[in-house]
Amino acid sequence: MEEEKLILDAKNGDKKALTELVKKYEQTIYNFAYKICRDHDKAENAMQETFLSMVKSLHQFDGKSKLSTWLYRIVANHCMMNARKKKPSSFVDLEDDEGLFNDKYLYDASMMPSKDVENKELREILDKAISKLSPEYRIVFTLRDVEQLSTEETAEITNLSVPAVKSRLHRARAFLRNELMEAFSQ
Amino acid sequence: MKKNKVSCKEVMLHVCESLGEELNSPKCVTFKMHLESCTHCQNYFSSLESTIKYFRQYKIELPDESHKKLMTLLSLE
Repeated sequence: MEEEKLILDAKNGDKKALTELVKKYEQTIYNFAYKICRDHDKAENAMQETFLSMVKSLHQFDGKSKLSTWLYRIVANHCMMNARKKKPSSFVDLEDDEGLFNDKYLYDASMMPSKDVENKELREILDKAISKLSPEYRIVFTLRDVEQLSTEETAEITNLSVPAVKSRLHRARAFLRNELMEAFSQ
Repeated sequence: MKKNKVSCKEVMLHVCESLGEELNSPKCVTFKMHLESCTHCQNYFSSLESTIKYFRQYKIELPDESHKKLMTLLSLE
């Protein structure tokens, strides 16, 4: 069934339509929440809060943006609220371009292994690298590069300007790339 | 005098920002020309793409238990 029809039916109290909408997005929202919160319980909680909010406020959804954009915004806000409880010093400072774009990171690209991401060792390297990024950078990188949303959608969800999204994105990409190269060189 | 040459660092900065973006501006053409002849930048570009690919492929499955809890919480089947 078309999403617009599902939303309309769900607004009119059709539980079957609402169930379909939840099932359509629960994997995406959990996956995104986990990547930002880095913890199962927090991701599960963020997912639950997101869908509770959706059920409560669906009648206000005007369809001007995609439902997925609306859901991403709720879950991103929830994760950011949780993240503010954590000390900022737990994360790297990415304001320093000199450190990020340094010749010492000009390794041979063949150092990137052709491992499958199901590989446990590779997953640990990816987990360790992204955990060092502050949630502000993690959200932008995940929305733009992992979920493949547009720069404009990412800006809308994060309440950032387009230049700010681009700036955070290129720093996050460079940092993660450097971390992976360091890990693979050992 | 207009400076035509760009450094590897400038390309690295620009490549980062431009992945997934439009690359047809005159400035981008200059960067692409540099990229074609600079092994350092080609390596950088390639490793950046691989980095994004790894994170894109890394999926976290929703546990069945979490799905059931969500449905119960929302009073849905």
